[in-house]
Amino acid sequence: MDFGFTPEQDELRAQARRLLDHELPLDRILASSAAPPTLDRALWKRTAELGWAGLTIPEAHGGLGLCAVDLIVLLEEMGKTLCPLPLASTDLAVAALTALGDEAQRAEWLPRIASGDVVATVAILEASDVPAAEGIGARATARAGEVVLDGAKLFVPDGQHADLVLVAAREGAGVSLFAVPAAAPGVTATPLVVVDATKPAAEVRLAGAVLPERARLGSAGAAWPVLAHLLDRQAITHAAEMVGSADAALRLAVEYAKVRRQFGSPIGRFQGVKHRCAEMLCDIESARSLVYYAAWALDSAPEQVARYAAMAKALASEALDAAGEECVQIHGAIGYTWECHAHLFYKRGRQSYVWLGAPDEHYERVMGALEPRA
Amino acid sequence: MDFGFSPEEEAFRAEVRAFIADHLPQRSGQDQMDAEEGMKNLPALYKWNQDLHAKRWVGFNWPREVGGGGGTISEQMILKEEMARVKAPMLGLSYMGLAWVGPALIKYGTPAQQERHIGPILRGEIQWCTGYSEPGAGSDLAALQCKAVRDGDDYVVNGQKIWTSLAMWAQWMILLVRTDPQAPKHLGITCLLVPMQTPGITVKPIKEMNGGAMFAEVFFEDVRVPAANRLGAEGQGWEVTKDALANERSSIADVWALKHRLEAIRDLARRCRRRGRPAIEDAAIRQRIARMETQVEAMRLNGLRFVTKQLRGEPLGAETSINKLIRARIEIESGRLARDIEGSFGALARKSPHAVDDGRWQKVMLSWPPFVIGGGTPNIQKNVIAERLLGLPHDG
Repeated sequence: MDFGFTPEQDELRAQARRLLDHELPLDRILASSAAPPTLDRALWKRTAELGWAGLTIPEAHGGLGLCAVDLIVLLEEMGKTLCPLPLASTDLAVAALTALGDEAQRAEWLPRIASGDVVATVAILEASDVPAAEGIGARATARAGEVVLDGAKLFVPDGQHADLVLVAAREGAGVSLFAVPAAAPGVTATPLVVVDATKPAAEVRLAGAVLPERARLGSAGAAWPVLAHLLDRQAITHAAEMVGSADAALRLAVEYAKVRRQFGSPIGRFQGVKHRCAEMLCDIESARSLVYYAAWALDSAPEQVARYAAMAKALASEALDAAGEECVQIHGAIGYTWECHAHLFYKRGRQSYVWLGAPDEHYERVMGALEPRA
Repeated sequence: MDFGFSPEEEAFRAEVRAFIADHLPQRSGQDQMDAEEGMKNLPALYKWNQDLHAKRWVGFNWPREVGGGGGTISEQMILKEEMARVKAPMLGLSYMGLAWVGPALIKYGTPAQQERHIGPILRGEIQWCTGYSEPGAGSDLAALQCKAVRDGDDYVVNGQKIWTSLAMWAQWMILLVRTDPQAPKHLGITCLLVPMQTPGITVKPIKEMNGGAMFAEVFFEDVRVPAANRLGAEGQGWEVTKDALANERSSIADVWALKHRLEAIRDLARRCRRRGRPAIEDAAIRQRIARMETQVEAMRLNGLRFVTKQLRGEPLGAETSINKLIRARIEIESGRLARDIEGSFGALARKSPHAVDDGRWQKVMLSWPPFVIGGGTPNIQKNVIAERLLGLPHDG
C-alpha cells in the first residue's frame, strides 16, 4: 500500500516547478492576460523536448510512455502558476488516438504531437451542453471514400491553437470521432472570450468539411463509450490543475495574511481569517486525495474512473471556487486590483467550476451510479 | 502509487477474516453513537476480548515485550478495516486504557507500573477514565488547576475534573494535576494514576442533551495518591499526556462507521417519501447524500495518504486535524440529513407514535457533540491547521 509519489515523480514535479517559475511566473501570466490568449510555440516545443507533450505517448511513437499519475504531477504544478500550455487537451487527444486509432493513425499523429510540432485537442461538447451521446448534433455523412462533417463544437479546449482537432460527430445511430486538421477547408476555429484568459477555448465550426475516410478513428458510430471515458479523463486532469491553482491561491492569501497588519497585528492572527484558511486547506487536501486516486484509477482501475472523476471534479471545483474568492477577500481592496494576482485565481475558479460540469451534475453522477433515479 | 498489499499482508487479511467468521459475537452492528448501549453489554463482550487477546490483537500496535501485538502499520490498517467492515465491536474493552493510558505507560511507566496495568488493560479487566478537562480548562487544557501537594509518600489531590467519560464505570483514572503553581503552565503539571475507589473521590454523572450520561464531573477532596503512582517525573505530566494524545488512532475505523451510516441513510431515503415520491428521488436529497459520500471518500483517501507518510517513516504532524474537521462536518450533517429525509416525521423522537425507526436518527442528531467537541473542537482543529500547517500566527 503506497498512496504517494515515486522519487522520479518528485523529480518531475521539481523540474516542472523550476521551469514554470522561470519561464512563466505569475507576473508574466498577468501581463499577457489582458490580450486574447496566444500560444508560445517556442516554449511548447521546449517542454516537448523535456517530454511533456509526449508524456503519455508510447515510446514507440516518440513519447515517454508514462501514465496518468505522472501527468497529474505536471498538471498540478501547471495549475499553481495558471500555466496556459495546452498539456491537458494534448493528453486528451493522445488518449483518444491511443484508444480509437489504428496503428497507421497513431503513427501519423503521435510522433508529431510528442515533438510539439502538432498541437491537438478533442471537440466533444456542443451548444446543447449535454455531455452524452444525445447531446451531439454535429453530423458525419459518408460518401464514396470520404466523410463530410457539418456542425459546431463548443468549449473546445485550446481550439484556437490546435493543429489537429478530434471531432465527435453523429454518424448513423452512433457517434464517431474524426481526426480533423485545423487547416482543412470548411474548418474554422473562433476563440471564445472566456472569463479566465489562461484557459483558452474556441468554437470549432465544420461547414461541409471533407475528410478522407481514414480520418475516422475506430469504427463508424462506435466512439461514444471511449468519449465518455475521455470526458472522465478530462474532468480528472482539469481537477488536477484546479487543485494546484487552489493551493496557490491559498498560499498567496496566507502569505499576505502573515504580513498585512491591522489593529496592531498580522491579519492572519484573527480567526475570521485563519479559520477560513484552515477550511480551505481541508477542502484542497480532500480534493487532492480524490484527484490522485482518480488518476491512479485511470491507470490501474478503469471500473472506478467514472465515480472518482465525478467526486474529484466536484470537490476540486468547490475548493478552487472558494479559494479564489477568499484570496480576493483576504487581500482586501488590493485584492481586486489588476496588479494583484488574486483575480487570476478567482477567474480560474469561477470558470473551472462550471467547465466540464458543475458540482451538482457530478454529485448526481455519484448518486446515479449508486441509486438510479426513477 | 499502489493500493495492493504484499502476499504476507493478504495472508494476514485472510487470517483476520477467518477469525471474524469464527468469533464475531451475534449481537453486533451497533452504531458507534450507541457506545452507551455497548457499555451495558460489556459482559457479553468479554469472550470476544479474550479471543482477540489470544491473537494479540488487543493493543496490536504495542510492542510484543509488554504484551502487545507488534503489528506493522499495514497490518494494523488491515485489522481495523476488516473489523470495521463487519461492524465488529471494538478491538479491546478498556477503551481509554488502550487509547491513552497504555501508550503513556509504555513510554513513561516504571517496570512495576507496566507490570501492574498493561495486562489488565489488554485483558479488558480494568476500565480507565481520563481526568484531563476542568471547568476552566477545556480547549486550553494546560490551564488546569486541580492541585496535588506532596505529603510524605503521597500526593494529596484537591479540585475538580469534568467531561470525564466512563467515570461511572472506571476503576482507575489517569489524572493531570498541578504540582507547581509557580512554574510556567505546561511545566507545572504532573500525571497520576488513581484508583477510583480512593476515599475523597465523588463522581457525578452529567446528563447530556440526548438524555444519556456518558460523562461525569469528578470531585477530589483530600484524595491521597501514593507517589509510586506518578507516571513520569514531577512536572512531566503535560509531555506524558500530550504524547498519548498525539498517539491518535488512525481514522480508518471512523471512516467505516461513517460508510455504514451512509448506507443506512440511503436506506432511509428509499423508505421515506417526499411529495408522494421516495425521498431518494428528490434532487436536493440526492445532492446531499452524494456530497456526504464524497466527503467520506475524501476522508478515507486523506487517511491513506497520511498512513503512507507513516509507512515511509516520515513524521505525521497536524495533518490528522484535517480528517478530524471533515469527520466533524459529516457527523453533524448525517443527523441533519436524516431528519430532512424524514420530513415532518423528523420531529418525532424515540418512543413517539409514528417515529421513524423508533427515533434512531433523532438520537444521532442529538449525539454528535461528544465526538465533535472531545479531543479538540472544530475551532481548535482550525487553529492547529492554520498555525502548524499554514504557519499563520498563534492566537492571542
